[in-house]
Amino acid sequence: MLLAAAAALGFWCWTILFPSPEKLVLKKISSLASTATIVASDGNITRATKVSNLIGYFAVDAEIHFDVTGYPAHTLSGRDEIREAAAGAFTSLTTLNVQFLDVTVRLAADKLTADVSCAAKVNAGDSKDFGVQEMHFQLKKVEGDWLITKVETVKTLS
Amino acid sequence: MQNANESRPHWLQVLTIGRRPKTTLIRIAVLVVTCFVTFKFVLLPIRIDGISMLPTYHTGQINCINRLAYLRHEPQRGDIVSVRLSEPGGLANPSILYMKRIIGLPGETVAFHGGRAFINGEPLDEPYVKFSCDWEHAPIVCGPDQYYVVGDNRSMPFDFHTQGRAERNRIVGKLLL
Repeated sequence: MLLAAAAALGFWCWTILFPSPEKLVLKKISSLASTATIVASDGNITRATKVSNLIGYFAVDAEIHFDVTGYPAHTLSGRDEIREAAAGAFTSLTTLNVQFLDVTVRLAADKLTADVSCAAKVNAGDSKDFGVQEMHFQLKKVEGDWLITKVETVKTLS
Repeated sequence: MQNANESRPHWLQVLTIGRRPKTTLIRIAVLVVTCFVTFKFVLLPIRIDGISMLPTYHTGQINCINRLAYLRHEPQRGDIVSVRLSEPGGLANPSILYMKRIIGLPGETVAFHGGRAFINGEPLDEPYVKFSCDWEHAPIVCGPDQYYVVGDNRSMPFDFHTQGRAERNRIVGKLLL
């Protein structure tokens, strides 16, 4: 009995100390949502810090392709364009609440790249309504860290 | 001679597991299985969030989706359905679904003129649309497996209202109440 408990504790410690790649990717996506969320009380310095933190989630050659209802489709290429767009959004919006729900991670066989599908729930400004958008992320492992290489929106209703 | 008080179960036992524990356990098991089957395969409990179905449904209302509603027949015009964001097999266990009303059936053409919906060129009677609407949109043809879904609240601009053609396999079920 004691041996089984020790083994279970050991396994639990192992999973905490050496999490699986799926868990790391999930954590990354969850943390991305927190970083992309701003509240009204966030000052300029906090917002600027969040922008620079946000850029850290993306690979140098990352691409974001947006094609959502109500806005013209556009693509952001590279960290500079992403930084510019994030800074613009964080400056103009009073609040931005981002949640990634139903996150599904598919690891490649080499465990160096991952595809993530999720539903993004976004509430911007003082709007009572929110937007829901299916999204697809591609991540790759760079020097031990998972970085986003591609983000694209998926149209649910055509 | 046995004392009557000794054979009577303690009041705490009666309160927690009843006078006949075996029967109580069977009842609990049946209840658990019934709930599991009902909420796993038949009814999907939902909490409504958002303004797109106003005034018919508003944020905070609790309802259920009947997953078996379309076993015997296909979705009908006017049905309020839940539509999954991704194709089946996309997102593992979708916790977020669109809730919309079907106005266009497979093969039909849906258009909006002067805020009114037109199906195959004929105006559609929609008593559930209460807010003023000024939508103008060219005809959209539904494919053989597509339904045109839209919310009842059409007071926002056309482009900001999530709507469009949904494949049959994305329709999870019909709203129960």
